[in-house]
Amino acid sequence: MSAAPAARVPGPTPRAGGDPLIRLFHVSKSYAAGQFALRDVSVEIKKGELVFLTGPSGAGKTTLMKLLFAAERPSEGQILVLGRNVARVGEAGIPRLRRRVGVVFQDFKLIATRTVEENVAVTLEVIGTPPREARARVFAMLKRVGLQHRRHARPAALSGGEQQRVALARALVNEPAILLADEPTGNLDAELTVEIMDLIAGAASRGTTILVATHDLALVQKYARRVIRLEGGRLVEDLPGGATA
Amino acid sequence: MTRALFQLLYFVRSAIAGLRGSPLPTGVSILTIAVATIPLGGLWVVTGNMRALLDQFGSELQLTAFLEPSVRSDEGRSLAAKASAIPGVERVEFVSQEQALERFRTRLGGSALVDALEANPLPASLMVALAPEARTPERVAAVSEALHQIPGVEDVAGGETWIEGYGRALRLVRSAGIGLGSVLALATLLIVANTIRLAVYARRDELEILSLVGASRTYVRVPFLLEGIVQGAIGGLCGVALLYAIFQLAVPQLRDALELFLGWSDPAFLSARNVGILVAGGAGFGFAGAAVAALRTRLT
Repeated sequence: MSAAPAARVPGPTPRAGGDPLIRLFHVSKSYAAGQFALRDVSVEIKKGELVFLTGPSGAGKTTLMKLLFAAERPSEGQILVLGRNVARVGEAGIPRLRRRVGVVFQDFKLIATRTVEENVAVTLEVIGTPPREARARVFAMLKRVGLQHRRHARPAALSGGEQQRVALARALVNEPAILLADEPTGNLDAELTVEIMDLIAGAASRGTTILVATHDLALVQKYARRVIRLEGGRLVEDLPGGATA
Repeated sequence: MTRALFQLLYFVRSAIAGLRGSPLPTGVSILTIAVATIPLGGLWVVTGNMRALLDQFGSELQLTAFLEPSVRSDEGRSLAAKASAIPGVERVEFVSQEQALERFRTRLGGSALVDALEANPLPASLMVALAPEARTPERVAAVSEALHQIPGVEDVAGGETWIEGYGRALRLVRSAGIGLGSVLALATLLIVANTIRLAVYARRDELEILSLVGASRTYVRVPFLLEGIVQGAIGGLCGVALLYAIFQLAVPQLRDALELFLGWSDPAFLSARNVGILVAGGAGFGFAGAAVAALRTRLT
């Protein structure tokens, strides 16, 4: 957990608006009979919004994230992501959905045997981007996250902050419509937390819709964006940007 | 270049990276296939040589058509021509009464008993050699019957009992080969599948990440299938090389025993074609093992 930053920073101006890119209608998820990880959650997130998803451990944040990139199916309700009904998307449709939804995790999930450059390139390789174009885009992306000089290093040689920047570069290199970040700063100190969050906020300013799951309230306060709060699998608060979480 | 070609290049590069990136599981898979190839190939060498041996015995097999005493030598030669036309007959030799007696004398080592004979009691005959495809009990019976039908042939002898034994031995060798080979092949497949599954398991994080960035199941699995094929082919090749080394070491040791019991001391190794089949089989096992492993691996 990072230390509380001294003051709120407004971050880049969001360009939120238009049709929602993410819609949940009365979504529930249970893994065992009568035990709900999520219960009757309905919410909409518009294009370009940066939204914090907060709540204590076990509140259902990760479950909600998993439902959005189709790693799990809802037990009840409907989920629309980029106009697709995720609850009903077939096996062949899942990869197509994920190519437009970048995901970042607390534990980075980098391929240990590949270099930084190769880790970022996998997102482009799976869609058959020509190697020369992929190299150029990967280099530009690494430059944006400040890691172009470490492109030949392997993940084990990087610090935690650098590894998360690589994971972020991998999620964003394909310019996804949506970025899902599940506790992206959970393993980082305060300084690196700000570094990573500034990169995420920068992506939002370029029009990417972003949902950040975190239980770091100081972070939420600092960026002053919309906050959705879960508790015991239920949505208990939905505060607009600028309101106190 | 098309997108599909880039993906194909990616599959190949990914397979090579996978093989180089996990040398231990790769080595174990190759070793497993190599070790499994040795008994399979060994069985093939043994059954192949047994068949060759039986064929050699079989080629010496012939029927004898004894001719009536009234048949003259020139008629006998014309009967030989008629017998040659019977399907399944490879060649026919006419043996006159005089030649038969001469052979008998030679066999007895110039016996006074033969010299004491007042008349030649041996009939003229046709020695009928059979084509390899006719060395079955049914075909021998058919040839024998056809010989009987030729006017001037009194009796037909030889071959049926031996040919039945020959046919049984050949069927036994073939069935044992297929049976043992099938059991070994199944065991090999299971071992290879589990070994490759371990390799897949060792790289499950990578598979999960590929799946998360939008790789299709096919996209995730194809490099593993290619790796399986490469591992299998290398394993098959190593297995054949080891088998050849064992063969070279064992044959000089067995030569005397083979000569003594079988009158034959020149066993052959697998032909180039069969080596190719064994290596391709290894590649097939690698592919099948990888396919089983990949299908049983759950992706996120």
